Amino acid sequence: MMQTFRRRIGARALASLPALLGVIVFTFILMRVLPGDPAVYFASGPNAGQAEIDGLRHKMGLDRPMPIQLAHYVAGIVTGDLGNSLTTGQPVMHDIRARLPASLELTLTALGLSLLLSLPLGIVSAWYANSRWDQCIRTLCTICFCIPPFVSAIFLIYVFYYIFGLVPDPTGRINIFTPLPHDITGFLLVDFLLTGDPAGWREAAGQLLLPAVTMALFVLSPLTRMTRASLLTVMNSDFIRTARAMGLPTWRIVTVYALRNALSPILTTVGIVFSTMLGANVLVEKVFSWPGVASYALDALVASDYAPVQGFILLMAILFIMVNLLVDILQGLVDPRVSME
Amino acid sequence: MGITRRQGLLGALSFATPAVLPVMANARQNGTTLRHITGNTVNTLDPTMLGATHESFGVSMNVYDRLVTFGRKQSGSIWTFDPDVITGELAERYEISDDGCTITLHLRPDATWHDGTPVTVDDVKWSLDRGVSARSLTAPQFSSGSLTSTEQFRVAGARTIEILLPRPDRLALANLAMPYAIMINSRLARRHATPDDPWAQQWMQQNTAAGGAYRVERFTPGVNIILTRNDAWGARSSGTSPFFERVISQTVPEATTRASLIERGDADIVIDLEAYDVIAMTARRRVRINSVFQSNCFTHLAFDTQSPPFDNVKVRRAVASALPYQDMFTASLFGRGHPLFDADWREVPPDISFPQALPLATDLKLARRLLAEAGFPDGFATTFSYATSQATTAEPMAALIQEALKRIGIQVDIRKLPDAEFNTLEAEKRLPFYTDTAAGWIQRTYYFFYLYFTRNQRWNFSSWRSPEMVELTGTARFETDRARYEDACRKMIALLADQVPLIMLWQPNMDAVTSPDIDGFTYQFHRQIDFRNLRRV
Repeated sequence: MMQTFRRRIGARALASLPALLGVIVFTFILMRVLPGDPAVYFASGPNAGQAEIDGLRHKMGLDRPMPIQLAHYVAGIVTGDLGNSLTTGQPVMHDIRARLPASLELTLTALGLSLLLSLPLGIVSAWYANSRWDQCIRTLCTICFCIPPFVSAIFLIYVFYYIFGLVPDPTGRINIFTPLPHDITGFLLVDFLLTGDPAGWREAAGQLLLPAVTMALFVLSPLTRMTRASLLTVMNSDFIRTARAMGLPTWRIVTVYALRNALSPILTTVGIVFSTMLGANVLVEKVFSWPGVASYALDALVASDYAPVQGFILLMAILFIMVNLLVDILQGLVDPRVSME
Repeated sequence: MGITRRQGLLGALSFATPAVLPVMANARQNGTTLRHITGNTVNTLDPTMLGATHESFGVSMNVYDRLVTFGRKQSGSIWTFDPDVITGELAERYEISDDGCTITLHLRPDATWHDGTPVTVDDVKWSLDRGVSARSLTAPQFSSGSLTSTEQFRVAGARTIEILLPRPDRLALANLAMPYAIMINSRLARRHATPDDPWAQQWMQQNTAAGGAYRVERFTPGVNIILTRNDAWGARSSGTSPFFERVISQTVPEATTRASLIERGDADIVIDLEAYDVIAMTARRRVRINSVFQSNCFTHLAFDTQSPPFDNVKVRRAVASALPYQDMFTASLFGRGHPLFDADWREVPPDISFPQALPLATDLKLARRLLAEAGFPDGFATTFSYATSQATTAEPMAALIQEALKRIGIQVDIRKLPDAEFNTLEAEKRLPFYTDTAAGWIQRTYYFFYLYFTRNQRWNFSSWRSPEMVELTGTARFETDRARYEDACRKMIALLADQVPLIMLWQPNMDAVTSPDIDGFTYQFHRQIDFRNLRRV
């Protein structure tokens, strides 16, 4: 059983290789087709003339023909070298390794928060479909979905930081005066727990609160609506009617019988929402000075800095493939009828 | 179907749970730690690296010493650098020979590097050699002061170095005060040099071999940089120790967030806020706003003088006479700056200061006549471009220009371009009409004209080719007679006003916003913060 499972995962990973190669070639070409020359952008100091621009172009290998550049790039990826970022002056691999945990921590927390809210909301909404409660929840979802995250971010900062001072200043993952925990996983909440520093943990959680809430609100709507829709279908089925007729307690019907059967489409939505959040975080990361991968890629894009953007897109592709795989596996666990083949 | 009260309460409680996460009050900094926030990042510790950001220059000014430095002067409550006074920094004093061809610098006797080893004359020689030899931003800068070869730097004693110039270049000394002219602990740097990289450029991007007022405690590119005071720097003879023991410079990309931080008192200084935030803050009076016009900086409208229609001087003059300068100044800067239009002199400028206001004024009748004389009685169509990063000031300006030029028949299509694209097109000289802002580090009239109005190079914004200007700058560069130099400068300014290859608009203010207890902010030619001057009162 376990072996066939592993083999299937291996097969899926292999099958995704052509897609990854396509992503690499496509982004590589796309970045070079876009107007804007990184060498000109970065050699913009006073007195930096054509010689400096050419020098920088040579340093970046941009003076070579494009197929050769591509070959070098792919060869680099195989050895784990994604090139260097001009924006930070670091290897892209190093930057991504340092920044990915920040993005993942934020996204996972936001997703957790969002699920904590949207599952109960969706259940209430479906169980009492078309009631006043349902209407209220649907209105709330519409509002949350309509407000762009950067607007809600600025609003939340204004109220909770600027006016009431309830949360720490929105500048990154941790107060700048607090010593960082020893880097174990890169997830601050985990690292503080592992090093046994409750004060540090509280602080990191405080910093995480506002950005996570901002993002959670944004994805509240798809998750709630999907929970509601999926539950509604299930609740009209015979076995639920039977359960009700037999007088089982409501919570038991919902959590044990209805929800489990409704979970499959919700899981798919969670997978999609998660992948979207990782990339769509840019504005939230910007507003909260969150040192994540999305704001990193945006800065690089503005500067036409090829390597980080390519690295970011590659990373997103890999994550997307992994999330899909994970969702498929979970689907199999939730509903034995769904198999990976 | 309905919800019972109990179910409703339970539901409400379960929603409230996530909100009861730990929340804590701000740990405010105070005393001898300074927190600086900026929208940009430091990308290297070596300011001479190709691609170094402005913030990297700012940090290097505090971490490294240069041989000499500009003085500072006070006007009103505001300190600025003094372009006309150059004093010793790592050098204790200097002399210039009568013919102007030899600069002798005497090093401080008790200067040390951050690792405690004494500064030697060989370190200085190595640093200067690196400047002219390594592939970096230093060499092109140094060449503007006739510093081009290692043979020009001669060790003349245990603490004396001589700089030999082929001709008395008026910018040689000022070049030694530039951020590119850092003095490096050569023994330390050489340990990290490789045959491919003899000047340790790779190593110095992430490490320092310095002796300046601050050391780098922690550097996280793209996030923050933390500096600690180097007490040996302040203890050396006739030195003054900086007030702040620790400086944190942190990247906060969003301008609104920066504004909130400084007003809440969680940050001490910021120099890159949006103008509308600054105006709102002025009314609330919770912070101190040091507003100083950037004397070595100018915002301009550039024409492509090499292609039609702007190769015709009458077309350029027509545009210059059609613009509503005062309205543009108010709309884009809210008047926060120093206008460079509406001067009342004709033919000869009153002094040789530069940038100075030129006799530009709105005169639609004149504009129409000039356009007709140029052969465009019905006008023409063109584009006006600006970079996205300048949108807050350029957008209202562009709208006014479009409207004003329409009145004389010129159809303007406004193009807002991403910065990288804008910079590329600008460098390739493919923009017919655009706006940009420039700042010259050495505030000498000759240097501004040499840099911005001669040669086929990037900073000649309007690609102007005027043999007369080339000749004037050529003479002025090595002219030792003061009267003759001033005469040449006057002619340059008059030529610019007459030929309008580029319209100088204004010098925007720098709004350095600090908490009320921060004193001593000084506007520097590099337009970054010199932490060494700041103190808390």
